[in-house]
Amino acid sequence: MGFWDRFLKIDRRWVFLVVWIAVVIPLLKPLGLPTHITPPVKKLYDYIDRMEGEDKAVFLSFDFDPSTMPELLPMGVAIIRHCFAKKIPIIVYGGLYPQFVGMAKMAIDMAKTDFPDIVYGKDYVFLGYVPGLSLVILSIGESIQGTFGNDYFGNRLDTLPLTMHVDNYEKIGIVVDLSGSSIPASWVAYAYQRYGCRIGCGTTAVSAAQYYPYLQTGQFVGMLGGLKGAAEYEELLERNGIPTGRRTATIGMDAQSVVHLLIILLIILGNIGYFYVRRRERRA
Amino acid sequence: MHISTNPWVWIAAILTLAIYSFLYKDNPFYKFAEHLFMGLSIGYGAVVLWYNSIIPRLWNPLAHGTSPSRFYLLIPIAIGLLSFGIFSKKYSWLIKYPLAFSVGAYAGFSIPVTFEASIFEQISGTILTKQMMATPWLAISNLIMFVGVITTITYFYFSKHHKGLLGKSARTGIVFLMLAFGASFGYTVMARISLLIGRMQFLLHDWLGIIK
Amino acid sequence: MILFILFSTITVKAFDTPNDGGGSITIKAYNVPETVKKALVYRKTEGDTTYTLAGVMSILSYRYVDADSTIKNGKPYYYRVDFYFPDTVISVVSDSPGIAYAQWYDKSKTSSLIFLIVFSTLVLVFIQLAKKDPEGLYIRKIPALDAIDEAVGRSTELGKPTFFVHGLLGITDAGTLAALTILRRVAKKVAEYDTPILVTNFDPIVMTASQETVKQAYTEAGRPDAYNEKNIIYLTYEQFGYTAGVDGLMVREKPGAIFLQGYFFAESLILAETGHSVGAIQIAGTTAKEQLPFFVAACDYVLIGEEMLAASSYIGREPVMLGSVKGADWGKAFLMGIIGIGVVLGTVGAILQSAGNGALMNVFEKILAFF
Repeated sequence: MGFWDRFLKIDRRWVFLVVWIAVVIPLLKPLGLPTHITPPVKKLYDYIDRMEGEDKAVFLSFDFDPSTMPELLPMGVAIIRHCFAKKIPIIVYGGLYPQFVGMAKMAIDMAKTDFPDIVYGKDYVFLGYVPGLSLVILSIGESIQGTFGNDYFGNRLDTLPLTMHVDNYEKIGIVVDLSGSSIPASWVAYAYQRYGCRIGCGTTAVSAAQYYPYLQTGQFVGMLGGLKGAAEYEELLERNGIPTGRRTATIGMDAQSVVHLLIILLIILGNIGYFYVRRRERRA
Repeated sequence: MHISTNPWVWIAAILTLAIYSFLYKDNPFYKFAEHLFMGLSIGYGAVVLWYNSIIPRLWNPLAHGTSPSRFYLLIPIAIGLLSFGIFSKKYSWLIKYPLAFSVGAYAGFSIPVTFEASIFEQISGTILTKQMMATPWLAISNLIMFVGVITTITYFYFSKHHKGLLGKSARTGIVFLMLAFGASFGYTVMARISLLIGRMQFLLHDWLGIIK
Repeated sequence: MILFILFSTITVKAFDTPNDGGGSITIKAYNVPETVKKALVYRKTEGDTTYTLAGVMSILSYRYVDADSTIKNGKPYYYRVDFYFPDTVISVVSDSPGIAYAQWYDKSKTSSLIFLIVFSTLVLVFIQLAKKDPEGLYIRKIPALDAIDEAVGRSTELGKPTFFVHGLLGITDAGTLAALTILRRVAKKVAEYDTPILVTNFDPIVMTASQETVKQAYTEAGRPDAYNEKNIIYLTYEQFGYTAGVDGLMVREKPGAIFLQGYFFAESLILAETGHSVGAIQIAGTTAKEQLPFFVAACDYVLIGEEMLAASSYIGREPVMLGSVKGADWGKAFLMGIIGIGVVLGTVGAILQSAGNGALMNVFEKILAFF
């Protein structure tokens, strides 16, 4: 059995091991590869940045669970930090499904460490789970107070300065939905098409390709795609002097780049082996 | 190296390793973590629904509310209760009513907005305008997109044999579909590796404290 | 003097926000110089002596929508906007009061209404035609359908069970309904070949429907005694809990054929990859377009998107499904026509416009705006 035969029949566990090494080494010894900013990320950053001093809030919806946390949580943390630094009011929503709330809580706790002067109720409000899925998105268009009643901690929304003032999409400058599912499309359908509220999206790399058409038509203001998108947003915060905390996405991008090279190499070798063996068998 | 002293971090780390052990082969640690995960997810979902939905949305308004309109809640409760007919062979047909209600209501509010968001906006994004041909690069990109949309739609045309012009167009459509799948697959590699990176960061940073 | 002339050109209009349910007034400023740094909107109504702050007007669009909960339909509201320049502030009052009304019909949705009527009519007509003569409506055969018999046959030869894995959406999803029709075909073959089947479910209602479907298929195959309700199982309502459960079953039971049918999310590749690793012949079908690449890479046959619905219509010849697929085909032809007309109009319009005649371009732009 020749090299290519053995290569094509290699035990997949060796591939797992090599990928694992390619992830761990750059984490232990960071390469410090540069982060280039792409237009979809810049557009979202600039849109939120321009809201400074405007009379509107950012509505950040956490529509993901721990399975996509490594990609989406750094996006949430970065956007909250951006709003806290620029004193843009932000409503953090714990998502359309019950298991998403924990992600939003974690992001707020991680983001607020560098902003001691931020006041709950005035600068930000945390909304918990209410049943209804797409109906919740529609219902926010009528009234946030009517939809939720209380915040995550049980405070009545009509007693908090932020939600007394911001009660529907009219006072929301942008909804940013963080999700690896089809939920961002629901925000476009119900919040943008129905109420004209602008939508931004942070999504997993798996779903990014699916959402480019929405970006092309302007239905999304901007988009963060996967870990790369999160790292770019962290980079923009850094460049603008906003505290970023531990840049988990940026740290991960070194490992990401090394593994991508490894996978490209494996695909090329796999194809060479496949065609070589096939040609040999045909000749035989 | 600062190993975590938080017992929850230890539990999470051990369960992560137990799930990853499946990559070597199926084993009792993986099975334990798998069953624990399934049980916990059902339990967690039930508790969150109970405390975030049934108690504040139904029980509190009915038991402690004063508004006369609170009795309207009895209507959706009654419709919802019909779902439990599923447990009886004799009354399982009752589930048709809550289903009919939710399908009807959902279709009513979703169809018009889906037309707008997914069809009309995308159509106007596909029709070539002067601005879309502003530079040679834009013109080429948008022409490719236009041909891609038309030929892919023809692939999904089921009322005619894929022969002649329609067949050629459908075959071109398949090429576009495969190209799109390739791009999407590339993105997926990135996503899956991100998940591994996330877990490794947790193990090496939060648990073992090896990396900053 | 120059400044005064500049400021005096600013006008403010307050009007009912169009196409809404009332309770909202739009305030728009015109001819605003670019040097404005901030614009604050103030409101008063009959009986008020002073204006109160309503909000901040966007200096990008110079538009403010006042949807305060105190706004009542039919009541006049007066607005003043204060424009802040680097060294001065100028107040402009709206030339007439704004009065909010509720509209019965949202004109911006006309295009949706027209398409809805056209599309629904097509579907209803085809459903009626399908009811009269189901065989009269042609649907092309999907190649992956032949593979169903082949997969179940191979599984039987190997003495292995057949797995049918449902997607994650409920009974209201068209993909789930199509999956149930495909399940009927698979279960019938399984009953004929007398090979075991295991159906995993994410949704309890889909599980009940699956039980009925498999039972009916076994009866049709003349083997009602072989039907075992315990082979149609519910796992969990949690995405990755379900994935872990199905993966575990695949590795332990080592099925010979796996059908992954319905709407899947991120778990698609994990499921397909595990199925591939146990050596099963896999036939996937999903309307989740973002998951198709993974099924294409890891499965032997794939029903791509709407092919799944067409396949189920082909198998079942059920009038509603058949009519819907035919109606959708006509809808697609209609949309392709619109795109084609749009491109021709846009191209010819642009050529004529550069020659000095903008009439056709105006028509084209109106069509674009209609959508």
